[in-house]
Amino acid sequence: MNNITLGKYIPLNSFVHKLDPRTKIIAMMILLIAIFIPAGFVGYGIIGIFLLISLISSKLSFSFVWKSFKPSLFMLVFLLIINMFIIKTGDVWLTIGSFNLYSGAVIQTVYIVLRLLLMIVITTMLTATTKPLDLTMGLEDLLSPLAKLNVPTHDIAMMISLALRFIPTLLEEAQRILKAQASRGVDMESGSFKEKIQAILSLIVPLFVSSFQKADDLADAMEARGYVVGAKRVRYKKLKFTFFDFITLVSVSGLLVGLILLKVL
Amino acid sequence: MSIHFEKVDYIYSPNSVFEFQALEDVSLDINMGKITAIIGATGSGKTTLVQHLNGLLLPSKGFLTVNDFTIKADEKPKNIKELRKQVGLVFQFAEYQLFEETLIKDVSFGPKNFGVKEKEAEMIAARALVTVGIDPKDFVKSPLELSGGQKRRVAIAGILAMSPSILVLDEPTAGLDPQGAKSMMELFKMLNKEKGITILIVTHNMEHVLEYCDEVVVLEKGQVIMHTDKKQFFKNDKYMEKASIDPPIIIAFKKKCEEYGITFDSDILTIDNLVSEIVKKRGKR
Repeated sequence: MNNITLGKYIPLNSFVHKLDPRTKIIAMMILLIAIFIPAGFVGYGIIGIFLLISLISSKLSFSFVWKSFKPSLFMLVFLLIINMFIIKTGDVWLTIGSFNLYSGAVIQTVYIVLRLLLMIVITTMLTATTKPLDLTMGLEDLLSPLAKLNVPTHDIAMMISLALRFIPTLLEEAQRILKAQASRGVDMESGSFKEKIQAILSLIVPLFVSSFQKADDLADAMEARGYVVGAKRVRYKKLKFTFFDFITLVSVSGLLVGLILLKVL
Repeated sequence: MSIHFEKVDYIYSPNSVFEFQALEDVSLDINMGKITAIIGATGSGKTTLVQHLNGLLLPSKGFLTVNDFTIKADEKPKNIKELRKQVGLVFQFAEYQLFEETLIKDVSFGPKNFGVKEKEAEMIAARALVTVGIDPKDFVKSPLELSGGQKRRVAIAGILAMSPSILVLDEPTAGLDPQGAKSMMELFKMLNKEKGITILIVTHNMEHVLEYCDEVVVLEKGQVIMHTDKKQFFKNDKYMEKASIDPPIIIAFKKKCEEYGITFDSDILTIDNLVSEIVKKRGKR
Protein backbone atom coordinates (compact mmCIF):
# COMPACT_ATOMS: atom_id res chain seq x y z
CA MET A 1 0.00 0.00 0.00
CA ASN A 2 2.90 2.29 0.73
CA ASN A 3 3.96 1.83 -2.85
CA ILE A 4 1.00 3.69 -4.27
CA THR A 5 2.42 6.70 -6.04
CA LEU A 6 -0.81 7.89 -7.64
CA GLY A 7 -1.21 11.61 -7.12
CA LYS A 8 1.37 11.72 -4.38
CA TYR A 9 3.16 15.02 -3.83
CA ILE A 10 6.92 14.70 -3.44
CA PRO A 11 8.37 17.65 -1.56
CA LEU A 12 11.55 18.62 -3.37
CA ASN A 13 13.11 21.90 -4.28
CA SER A 14 13.37 22.14 -8.03
CA PHE A 15 12.70 24.36 -11.01
CA VAL A 16 9.49 22.49 -11.84
CA HIS A 17 8.28 22.62 -8.24
CA LYS A 18 8.56 26.38 -8.24
CA LEU A 19 6.56 26.95 -11.41
CA ASP A 20 3.13 28.50 -11.17
CA PRO A 21 0.51 25.73 -10.94
CA ARG A 22 -1.43 27.36 -13.76
CA THR A 23 1.62 27.07 -15.99
CA LYS A 24 1.95 23.42 -15.13
CA ILE A 25 -1.70 22.65 -15.79
CA ILE A 26 -1.65 24.42 -19.16
CA ALA A 27 1.68 22.83 -20.07
CA MET A 28 0.25 19.44 -19.17
CA MET A 29 -2.75 19.96 -21.40
CA ILE A 30 -0.63 21.13 -24.32
CA LEU A 31 1.67 18.16 -23.93
CA LEU A 32 -1.26 15.75 -23.75
CA ILE A 33 -2.55 17.20 -27.03
CA ALA A 34 0.92 16.93 -28.52
CA ILE A 35 1.01 13.23 -27.73
CA PHE A 36 -2.03 12.64 -29.88
CA ILE A 37 -0.54 14.29 -32.96
CA PRO A 38 0.44 11.32 -35.10
CA ALA A 39 3.96 12.49 -35.90
CA GLY A 40 5.42 8.99 -35.82
CA PHE A 41 8.37 7.79 -33.83
CA VAL A 42 10.27 11.01 -34.50
CA GLY A 43 7.51 12.99 -32.83
CA TYR A 44 7.49 10.71 -29.78
CA GLY A 45 11.26 10.91 -29.68
CA ILE A 46 11.07 14.71 -29.51
CA ILE A 47 8.41 14.66 -26.77
CA GLY A 48 10.40 11.98 -24.96
CA ILE A 49 13.57 14.06 -24.92
CA PHE A 50 11.61 17.11 -23.80
CA LEU A 51 10.05 15.17 -20.94
CA LEU A 52 13.37 13.62 -19.99
CA ILE A 53 14.85 17.08 -19.57
CA SER A 54 11.88 18.26 -17.51
CA LEU A 55 11.98 15.09 -15.43
CA ILE A 56 15.64 15.64 -14.61
CA SER A 57 15.00 19.29 -13.76
CA SER A 58 12.16 18.25 -11.46
CA LYS A 59 14.58 16.03 -9.48
CA LEU A 60 12.05 13.18 -9.38
CA SER A 61 13.60 9.73 -9.49
CA PHE A 62 13.03 7.43 -12.45
CA SER A 63 12.00 4.62 -10.15
CA PHE A 64 9.17 6.81 -8.87
CA VAL A 65 7.81 7.28 -12.39
CA TRP A 66 8.30 3.60 -13.09
CA LYS A 67 6.21 2.74 -10.03
CA SER A 68 3.39 4.88 -11.38
CA PHE A 69 3.66 3.14 -14.72
CA LYS A 70 3.80 -0.42 -13.43
CA PRO A 71 0.08 -0.87 -12.67
CA SER A 72 -0.78 -0.26 -16.33
CA LEU A 73 1.61 -2.96 -17.60
CA PHE A 74 -1.06 -5.63 -17.32
CA MET A 75 -3.42 -3.60 -19.47
CA LEU A 76 -0.72 -3.12 -22.08
CA VAL A 77 -0.05 -6.84 -22.39
CA PHE A 78 -3.77 -7.33 -22.77
CA LEU A 79 -3.85 -4.69 -25.53
CA LEU A 80 -0.95 -6.32 -27.33
CA ILE A 81 -2.80 -9.63 -27.41
CA ILE A 82 -6.00 -8.04 -28.73
CA ASN A 83 -4.09 -6.05 -31.33
CA MET A 84 -2.30 -9.20 -32.52
CA PHE A 85 -5.63 -10.75 -33.45
CA ILE A 86 -7.46 -7.71 -34.76
CA ILE A 87 -5.00 -5.61 -36.75
CA LYS A 88 -4.15 -7.10 -40.12
CA THR A 89 -2.19 -4.36 -41.88
CA GLY A 90 1.43 -4.16 -42.92
CA ASP A 91 3.78 -7.05 -43.58
CA VAL A 92 3.45 -10.49 -42.09
CA TRP A 93 6.29 -10.86 -39.59
CA LEU A 94 5.55 -14.21 -38.09
CA THR A 95 3.38 -17.18 -38.99
CA ILE A 96 2.35 -19.82 -36.50
CA GLY A 97 -0.04 -22.33 -38.05
CA SER A 98 -2.96 -20.36 -39.41
CA PHE A 99 -2.09 -17.27 -37.33
CA ASN A 100 -0.23 -14.37 -38.91
CA LEU A 101 1.41 -11.62 -36.89
CA TYR A 102 1.34 -8.34 -38.82
CA SER A 103 3.82 -5.52 -38.41
CA GLY A 104 0.85 -3.13 -38.02
CA ALA A 105 -0.22 -4.86 -34.82
CA VAL A 106 3.19 -4.57 -33.22
CA ILE A 107 3.72 -0.97 -34.30
CA GLN A 108 0.25 0.02 -33.10
CA THR A 109 0.92 -1.52 -29.70
CA VAL A 110 4.27 0.19 -29.40
CA TYR A 111 2.51 3.48 -30.16
CA ILE A 112 0.02 2.87 -27.39
CA VAL A 113 2.74 1.93 -24.95
CA LEU A 114 4.67 5.08 -25.79
CA ARG A 115 1.61 7.28 -25.53
CA LEU A 116 0.62 5.84 -22.20
CA LEU A 117 4.14 6.08 -20.84
CA LEU A 118 4.43 9.72 -21.89
CA MET A 119 1.00 10.54 -20.47
CA ILE A 120 1.86 8.98 -17.15
CA VAL A 121 5.15 10.84 -17.00
CA ILE A 122 3.35 14.13 -17.67
CA THR A 123 0.54 13.65 -15.16
CA THR A 124 2.86 12.21 -12.52
CA MET A 125 5.11 15.20 -12.93
CA LEU A 126 2.19 17.54 -12.41
CA THR A 127 0.87 15.91 -9.25
CA ALA A 128 4.26 15.07 -7.80
CA THR A 129 5.61 18.60 -8.09
CA THR A 130 2.49 20.56 -7.17
CA LYS A 131 0.94 20.68 -3.74
CA PRO A 132 -2.73 19.64 -3.92
CA LEU A 133 -3.78 23.04 -2.62
CA ASP A 134 -1.74 24.88 -5.23
CA LEU A 135 -3.16 22.60 -7.86
CA THR A 136 -6.72 23.50 -6.94
CA MET A 137 -5.87 27.15 -6.70
CA GLY A 138 -4.47 27.00 -10.22
CA LEU A 139 -7.48 25.08 -11.42
CA GLU A 140 -9.89 27.54 -9.86
CA ASP A 141 -8.03 30.40 -11.43
CA LEU A 142 -8.11 28.80 -14.86
CA LEU A 143 -11.81 28.04 -14.51
CA SER A 144 -12.67 31.55 -13.31
CA PRO A 145 -13.96 32.77 -16.70
CA LEU A 146 -16.71 30.16 -16.33
CA ALA A 147 -17.86 31.82 -13.12
CA LYS A 148 -19.41 34.52 -15.30
CA LEU A 149 -21.68 31.81 -16.71
CA ASN A 150 -22.79 30.98 -13.16
CA VAL A 151 -20.68 27.86 -12.98
CA PRO A 152 -19.76 27.34 -9.28
CA THR A 153 -16.06 27.24 -10.00
CA HIS A 154 -15.04 27.78 -6.42
CA ASP A 155 -17.19 24.91 -5.18
CA ILE A 156 -15.83 22.63 -7.87
CA ALA A 157 -12.28 23.58 -6.98
CA MET A 158 -12.98 23.05 -3.28
CA MET A 159 -14.44 19.62 -3.94
CA ILE A 160 -11.44 18.63 -6.03
CA SER A 161 -9.03 19.84 -3.40
CA LEU A 162 -10.87 17.99 -0.65
CA ALA A 163 -10.92 14.82 -2.72
CA LEU A 164 -7.19 15.12 -3.36
CA ARG A 165 -6.56 15.97 0.26
CA PHE A 166 -8.25 12.79 1.42
CA ILE A 167 -6.57 10.29 -0.90
CA PRO A 168 -3.57 9.77 1.41
CA THR A 169 -5.79 9.90 4.51
CA LEU A 170 -8.06 7.20 3.16
CA LEU A 171 -5.12 5.07 2.10
CA GLU A 172 -3.66 5.38 5.57
CA GLU A 173 -6.98 4.56 7.14
CA ALA A 174 -7.45 1.55 4.85
CA GLN A 175 -4.01 0.32 5.78
CA ARG A 176 -4.74 0.70 9.46
CA ILE A 177 -8.02 -1.20 9.21
CA LEU A 178 -6.37 -3.89 7.10
CA LYS A 179 -3.79 -4.36 9.82
CA ALA A 180 -6.42 -4.39 12.55
CA GLN A 181 -8.46 -7.02 10.72
CA ALA A 182 -5.34 -9.02 9.91
CA SER A 183 -4.78 -9.11 13.66
CA ARG A 184 -8.19 -10.74 13.91
CA GLY A 185 -7.14 -13.47 11.51
CA VAL A 186 -8.38 -11.99 8.24
CA ASP A 187 -6.38 -13.33 5.36
CA MET A 188 -6.75 -11.18 2.26
CA GLU A 189 -4.74 -13.51 0.05
CA SER A 190 -6.00 -17.04 0.60
CA GLY A 191 -9.33 -18.50 1.60
CA SER A 192 -12.54 -19.39 -0.19
CA PHE A 193 -14.61 -16.96 -2.24
CA LYS A 194 -17.02 -16.43 0.65
CA GLU A 195 -14.18 -15.73 3.05
CA LYS A 196 -12.69 -13.24 0.64
CA ILE A 197 -15.98 -11.36 0.36
CA GLN A 198 -16.15 -11.28 4.14
CA ALA A 199 -12.56 -10.02 4.29
CA ILE A 200 -13.31 -7.20 1.86
CA LEU A 201 -16.46 -6.29 3.81
CA SER A 202 -14.42 -6.09 6.99
CA LEU A 203 -12.33 -3.42 5.27
CA ILE A 204 -14.97 -1.49 3.34
CA VAL A 205 -17.60 -1.07 6.06
CA PRO A 206 -15.31 0.53 8.65
CA LEU A 207 -13.72 2.62 5.91
CA PHE A 208 -17.12 3.99 4.90
CA VAL A 209 -18.17 4.62 8.48
CA SER A 210 -15.02 6.54 9.28
CA SER A 211 -15.13 8.44 5.97
CA PHE A 212 -18.61 9.73 6.70
CA GLN A 213 -17.53 10.63 10.19
CA LYS A 214 -14.50 12.47 8.85
CA ALA A 215 -16.64 14.31 6.31
CA ASP A 216 -18.99 15.40 9.08
CA ASP A 217 -16.14 16.57 11.26
CA LEU A 218 -14.55 18.42 8.37
CA ALA A 219 -17.79 20.20 7.52
CA ASP A 220 -18.14 21.28 11.15
CA ALA A 221 -14.53 22.42 11.30
CA MET A 222 -14.93 24.44 8.11
CA GLU A 223 -18.10 26.11 9.34
CA ALA A 224 -16.50 26.83 12.69
CA ARG A 225 -13.83 28.74 10.83
CA GLY A 226 -16.40 30.75 8.96
CA TYR A 227 -16.64 28.89 5.67
CA VAL A 228 -19.88 29.67 3.90
CA VAL A 229 -20.84 27.86 0.72
CA GLY A 230 -21.09 30.25 -2.17
CA ALA A 231 -19.69 33.22 -0.28
CA LYS A 232 -17.02 35.35 -1.86
CA ARG A 233 -13.56 34.50 -0.60
CA VAL A 234 -10.28 36.32 -0.78
CA ARG A 235 -6.95 34.63 -0.93
CA TYR A 236 -4.00 34.89 1.35
CA LYS A 237 -1.62 33.44 -1.16
CA LYS A 238 -1.47 34.97 -4.62
CA LEU A 239 -0.28 33.06 -7.64
CA LYS A 240 2.65 34.68 -9.41
CA PHE A 241 3.37 34.32 -13.06
CA THR A 242 7.13 34.69 -13.52
CA PHE A 243 9.58 34.83 -16.38
CA PHE A 244 10.28 31.11 -15.97
CA ASP A 245 6.60 30.35 -16.42
CA PHE A 246 6.66 32.34 -19.60
CA ILE A 247 9.70 30.40 -20.88
CA THR A 248 8.05 27.10 -20.00
CA LEU A 249 4.83 27.92 -21.81
CA VAL A 250 6.68 29.22 -24.87
CA SER A 251 8.79 26.09 -25.12
CA VAL A 252 5.82 23.77 -24.65
CA SER A 253 3.79 25.66 -27.26
CA GLY A 254 6.83 25.61 -29.54
CA LEU A 255 6.94 21.86 -29.15
CA LEU A 256 3.28 21.55 -30.13
CA VAL A 257 3.64 23.81 -33.17
CA GLY A 258 6.82 21.98 -34.19
CA LEU A 259 5.05 18.64 -34.06
CA ILE A 260 2.12 19.92 -36.11
CA LEU A 261 4.52 21.28 -38.73
CA LEU A 262 6.39 17.98 -38.72
CA LYS A 263 3.12 16.19 -39.44
CA VAL A 264 1.90 18.61 -42.09
CA LEU A 265 5.15 19.01 -44.00
CA MET B 1 6.90 -18.86 26.12
CA SER B 2 8.88 -15.72 25.56
CA ILE B 3 9.18 -12.47 23.68
CA HIS B 4 12.66 -11.59 22.59
CA PHE B 5 13.87 -8.84 20.24
CA GLU B 6 17.36 -9.17 18.82
CA LYS B 7 18.92 -6.08 17.24
CA VAL B 8 15.74 -5.12 15.40
CA ASP B 9 15.77 -2.20 12.96
CA TYR B 10 12.70 -0.99 11.14
CA ILE B 11 12.73 1.50 8.29
CA TYR B 12 9.57 2.91 6.69
CA SER B 13 9.61 3.46 2.89
CA PRO B 14 13.28 2.61 2.42
CA ASN B 15 15.13 4.28 -0.46
CA SER B 16 12.65 7.09 -0.96
CA VAL B 17 12.29 10.68 0.18
CA PHE B 18 9.90 9.43 2.86
CA GLU B 19 12.50 7.06 4.33
CA PHE B 20 12.26 7.00 8.09
CA GLN B 21 14.01 4.80 10.60
CA ALA B 22 11.45 4.02 13.29
CA LEU B 23 13.40 1.42 15.25
CA GLU B 24 17.12 1.19 15.74
CA ASP B 25 18.98 -1.73 17.23
CA VAL B 26 16.19 -2.78 19.57
CA SER B 27 17.10 -5.69 21.82
CA LEU B 28 14.53 -6.52 24.42
CA ASP B 29 13.23 -9.37 26.57
CA ILE B 30 9.67 -9.06 27.81
CA ASN B 31 8.90 -10.94 31.01
CA MET B 32 5.97 -13.27 30.62
CA GLY B 33 2.98 -13.08 32.91
CA LYS B 34 3.58 -9.40 33.65
CA ILE B 35 2.03 -6.14 32.57
CA THR B 36 4.66 -4.14 30.73
CA ALA B 37 4.18 -0.49 29.87
CA ILE B 38 5.81 0.84 26.72
CA ILE B 39 6.29 4.57 26.99
CA GLY B 40 8.02 7.32 25.07
CA ALA B 41 7.31 10.57 23.29
CA THR B 42 5.15 10.67 20.15
CA GLY B 43 7.08 9.27 17.22
CA SER B 44 9.49 7.30 19.38
CA GLY B 45 8.51 4.01 17.72
CA LYS B 46 6.09 2.50 20.23
CA THR B 47 3.42 1.54 17.71
CA THR B 48 6.02 0.26 15.25
CA LEU B 49 7.52 -1.89 17.98
CA VAL B 50 4.28 -3.58 18.96
CA GLN B 51 3.23 -4.21 15.37
CA HIS B 52 6.20 -6.53 15.05
CA LEU B 53 4.80 -8.80 17.71
CA ASN B 54 2.18 -10.43 15.49
CA GLY B 55 4.05 -10.11 12.23
CA LEU B 56 2.18 -7.11 10.81
CA LEU B 57 5.56 -5.53 10.30
CA LEU B 58 8.70 -7.51 9.60
CA PRO B 59 12.03 -6.17 10.86
CA SER B 60 14.25 -4.50 8.29
CA LYS B 61 17.19 -6.00 10.13
CA GLY B 62 17.52 -8.38 13.06
CA PHE B 63 14.80 -10.74 14.29
CA LEU B 64 12.44 -11.40 17.14
CA THR B 65 11.02 -14.54 18.66
CA VAL B 66 7.52 -14.73 20.10
CA ASN B 67 6.66 -18.06 21.74
CA ASP B 68 7.71 -20.60 19.08
CA PHE B 69 7.67 -18.15 16.20
CA THR B 70 10.62 -16.39 14.65
CA ILE B 71 9.94 -13.14 12.83
CA LYS B 72 12.79 -11.93 10.68
CA ALA B 73 13.51 -9.69 7.72
CA ASP B 74 11.95 -10.43 4.32
CA GLU B 75 10.26 -13.64 5.34
CA LYS B 76 6.75 -14.04 6.66
CA PRO B 77 6.75 -16.50 9.54
CA LYS B 78 5.15 -19.83 8.74
CA ASN B 79 1.65 -20.20 10.07
CA ILE B 80 1.24 -16.49 10.71
CA LYS B 81 -2.43 -17.06 11.54
CA GLU B 82 -1.52 -19.11 14.58
CA LEU B 83 0.86 -16.34 15.66
CA ARG B 84 -1.92 -13.77 15.37
CA LYS B 85 -4.19 -15.99 17.42
CA GLN B 86 -1.61 -16.18 20.20
CA VAL B 87 -0.74 -12.49 20.13
CA GLY B 88 -3.87 -10.37 20.31
CA LEU B 89 -3.18 -6.84 19.09
CA VAL B 90 -5.63 -4.07 19.91
CA PHE B 91 -5.07 -1.00 17.79
CA GLN B 92 -5.27 2.62 18.76
CA PHE B 93 -8.90 3.75 18.40
CA ALA B 94 -9.85 0.13 17.89
CA GLU B 95 -13.54 1.03 17.66
CA TYR B 96 -13.06 1.89 13.99
CA GLN B 97 -12.56 -1.76 13.08
CA LEU B 98 -16.13 -2.82 13.97
CA PHE B 99 -18.10 -3.69 10.85
CA GLU B 100 -20.77 -6.30 11.52
CA GLU B 101 -24.46 -5.62 12.06
CA THR B 102 -24.46 -6.78 15.66
CA LEU B 103 -21.95 -6.85 18.48
CA ILE B 104 -22.07 -10.60 18.86
CA LYS B 105 -21.45 -11.14 15.14
CA ASP B 106 -18.52 -8.74 15.19
CA VAL B 107 -16.85 -10.33 18.18
CA SER B 108 -17.31 -13.84 16.80
CA PHE B 109 -15.61 -12.74 13.56
CA GLY B 110 -12.14 -13.36 15.04
CA PRO B 111 -12.71 -16.93 16.28
CA LYS B 112 -14.51 -17.80 13.03
CA ASN B 113 -11.45 -16.71 11.09
CA PHE B 114 -9.48 -19.21 13.12
CA GLY B 115 -11.83 -22.02 12.14
CA VAL B 116 -14.24 -22.11 15.08
CA LYS B 117 -17.80 -23.13 14.14
CA GLU B 118 -20.46 -20.41 14.15
CA LYS B 119 -22.40 -21.61 17.21
CA GLU B 120 -19.31 -22.07 19.31
CA ALA B 121 -17.84 -18.78 18.10
CA GLU B 122 -20.94 -16.95 19.31
CA MET B 123 -20.65 -18.58 22.70
CA ILE B 124 -17.02 -17.50 22.96
CA ALA B 125 -18.04 -14.03 21.79
CA ALA B 126 -20.77 -13.77 24.42
CA ARG B 127 -18.29 -14.69 27.13
CA ALA B 128 -15.78 -12.11 25.86
CA LEU B 129 -18.44 -9.42 25.76
CA VAL B 130 -19.46 -10.18 29.33
CA THR B 131 -15.81 -10.05 30.39
CA VAL B 132 -15.42 -6.52 29.04
CA GLY B 133 -18.65 -5.48 30.74
CA ILE B 134 -21.20 -5.30 27.95
CA ASP B 135 -24.80 -5.92 28.98
CA PRO B 136 -26.12 -9.17 27.34
CA LYS B 137 -29.24 -7.40 26.15
CA ASP B 138 -27.04 -5.15 24.00
CA PHE B 139 -25.48 -8.11 22.15
CA VAL B 140 -27.83 -7.74 19.20
CA LYS B 141 -27.37 -3.97 18.92
CA SER B 142 -25.46 -2.43 16.05
CA PRO B 143 -22.00 -1.15 16.97
CA LEU B 144 -23.07 2.25 15.67
CA GLU B 145 -25.59 2.59 18.51
CA LEU B 146 -22.93 2.44 21.20
CA SER B 147 -20.90 5.17 22.82
CA GLY B 148 -17.20 5.49 21.97
CA GLY B 149 -16.07 3.83 25.18
CA GLN B 150 -18.43 0.90 24.72
CA LYS B 151 -17.31 0.45 21.13
CA ARG B 152 -13.73 0.32 22.35
CA ARG B 153 -14.74 -2.44 24.79
CA VAL B 154 -16.41 -4.40 22.01
CA ALA B 155 -13.29 -4.11 19.88
CA ILE B 156 -11.21 -5.42 22.78
CA ALA B 157 -13.69 -8.26 23.24
CA GLY B 158 -13.14 -9.05 19.56
CA ILE B 159 -9.48 -9.68 20.35
CA LEU B 160 -10.12 -11.48 23.65
CA ALA B 161 -12.45 -13.88 21.84
CA MET B 162 -9.39 -15.30 20.09
CA SER B 163 -8.10 -16.23 23.57
CA PRO B 164 -4.58 -14.90 23.06
CA SER B 165 -1.81 -15.70 25.54
CA ILE B 166 -0.23 -12.31 24.89
CA LEU B 167 -2.35 -9.18 24.71
CA VAL B 168 -0.88 -6.05 23.15
CA LEU B 169 -2.76 -2.78 23.58
CA ASP B 170 -1.86 0.39 21.71
CA GLU B 171 -3.06 3.33 23.81
CA PRO B 172 -6.22 1.55 24.92
CA THR B 173 -7.46 4.44 27.05
CA ALA B 174 -6.82 7.31 24.63
CA GLY B 175 -9.89 9.51 24.35
CA LEU B 176 -11.81 7.82 27.18
CA ASP B 177 -13.11 9.65 30.22
CA PRO B 178 -11.08 9.06 33.43
CA GLN B 179 -13.70 6.71 34.85
CA GLY B 180 -13.89 4.67 31.65
CA ALA B 181 -10.10 4.58 31.41
CA LYS B 182 -9.82 3.37 34.98
CA SER B 183 -12.28 0.52 34.55
CA MET B 184 -10.50 -0.40 31.30
CA MET B 185 -7.21 -0.68 33.17
CA GLU B 186 -8.91 -2.71 35.93
CA LEU B 187 -10.08 -5.09 33.21
CA PHE B 188 -6.53 -5.61 31.95
CA LYS B 189 -5.26 -6.13 35.48
CA MET B 190 -7.96 -8.75 36.00
CA LEU B 191 -7.10 -10.53 32.74
CA ASN B 192 -3.48 -10.57 33.78
CA LYS B 193 -4.16 -11.87 37.30
CA GLU B 194 -6.88 -14.40 36.56
CA LYS B 195 -5.95 -15.74 33.16
CA GLY B 196 -2.20 -15.18 33.35
CA ILE B 197 -2.19 -13.25 30.06
CA THR B 198 1.01 -11.36 29.36
CA ILE B 199 0.06 -7.77 28.66
CA LEU B 200 1.93 -5.01 26.86
CA ILE B 201 0.43 -1.55 27.00
CA VAL B 202 1.52 1.45 24.99
CA THR B 203 0.52 4.43 27.08
CA HIS B 204 1.15 8.06 27.93
CA ASN B 205 -0.61 7.88 31.26
CA MET B 206 1.91 7.63 34.09
CA GLU B 207 -0.79 7.20 36.72
CA HIS B 208 -1.80 4.01 34.94
CA VAL B 209 1.79 2.86 34.73
CA LEU B 210 2.23 3.45 38.43
CA GLU B 211 -0.99 1.80 39.44
CA TYR B 212 -1.34 -1.16 37.09
CA CYS B 213 1.94 -2.05 35.38
CA ASP B 214 4.83 -4.19 36.58
CA GLU B 215 7.57 -3.22 34.17
CA VAL B 216 8.43 -0.23 32.04
CA VAL B 217 10.15 0.03 28.66
CA VAL B 218 11.18 3.53 27.62
CA LEU B 219 11.66 4.30 23.94
CA GLU B 220 13.40 7.35 22.57
CA LYS B 221 13.92 8.00 18.87
CA GLY B 222 13.45 4.32 18.05
CA GLN B 223 15.84 3.05 20.70
CA VAL B 224 15.14 1.32 23.97
CA ILE B 225 16.81 3.56 26.52
CA MET B 226 15.49 1.81 29.59
CA HIS B 227 13.82 -1.43 30.60
CA THR B 228 13.24 -1.90 34.28
CA ASP B 229 10.65 -2.68 36.90
CA LYS B 230 8.19 -0.06 38.01
CA LYS B 231 9.83 0.80 41.34
CA GLN B 232 13.21 1.37 39.76
CA PHE B 233 11.63 3.44 37.05
CA PHE B 234 9.90 5.85 39.39
CA LYS B 235 13.02 6.29 41.49
CA ASN B 236 14.73 7.71 38.47
CA ASP B 237 13.10 10.98 37.49
CA LYS B 238 15.95 11.75 35.12
CA TYR B 239 14.45 9.37 32.58
CA MET B 240 10.99 10.77 33.03
CA GLU B 241 12.28 14.20 32.16
CA LYS B 242 14.22 12.83 29.21
CA ALA B 243 11.17 11.12 27.73
CA SER B 244 9.11 14.29 28.40
CA ILE B 245 6.87 12.49 30.86
CA ASP B 246 4.93 14.18 33.63
CA PRO B 247 5.45 12.18 36.82
CA PRO B 248 2.38 10.75 38.55
CA ILE B 249 0.91 13.06 41.16
CA ILE B 250 2.17 11.00 44.09
CA ILE B 251 5.76 11.17 42.81
CA ALA B 252 5.42 14.90 42.18
CA PHE B 253 4.07 15.33 45.70
CA LYS B 254 6.96 13.43 47.24
CA LYS B 255 9.42 15.48 45.25
CA LYS B 256 7.84 18.71 46.40
CA CYS B 257 8.05 17.49 50.02
CA GLU B 258 11.73 16.77 49.54
CA GLU B 259 12.27 20.37 48.53
CA TYR B 260 11.00 21.28 51.99
CA GLY B 261 13.24 18.74 53.65
CA ILE B 262 10.70 15.97 54.22
CA THR B 263 11.90 12.74 52.65
CA PHE B 264 9.95 9.58 52.05
CA ASP B 265 11.08 6.08 51.27
CA SER B 266 11.20 5.58 47.51
CA ASP B 267 9.19 2.35 47.77
CA ILE B 268 6.07 4.31 48.68
CA LEU B 269 3.99 4.35 45.55
CA THR B 270 0.39 4.31 46.75
CA ILE B 271 -1.69 6.93 48.50
CA ASP B 272 -2.44 4.53 51.38
CA ASN B 273 1.25 3.95 52.07
CA LEU B 274 1.99 7.62 51.81
CA VAL B 275 -0.74 8.61 54.24
CA SER B 276 0.32 6.06 56.86
CA GLU B 277 3.92 7.20 56.44
CA ILE B 278 2.89 10.82 57.01
CA VAL B 279 0.93 9.79 60.12
CA LYS B 280 3.96 7.87 61.39
CA LYS B 281 6.24 10.87 60.83
CA ARG B 282 3.85 13.16 62.68
CA GLY B 283 3.74 10.75 65.60
CA LYS B 284 7.51 11.01 65.97
CA ARG B 285 7.46 14.77 66.37
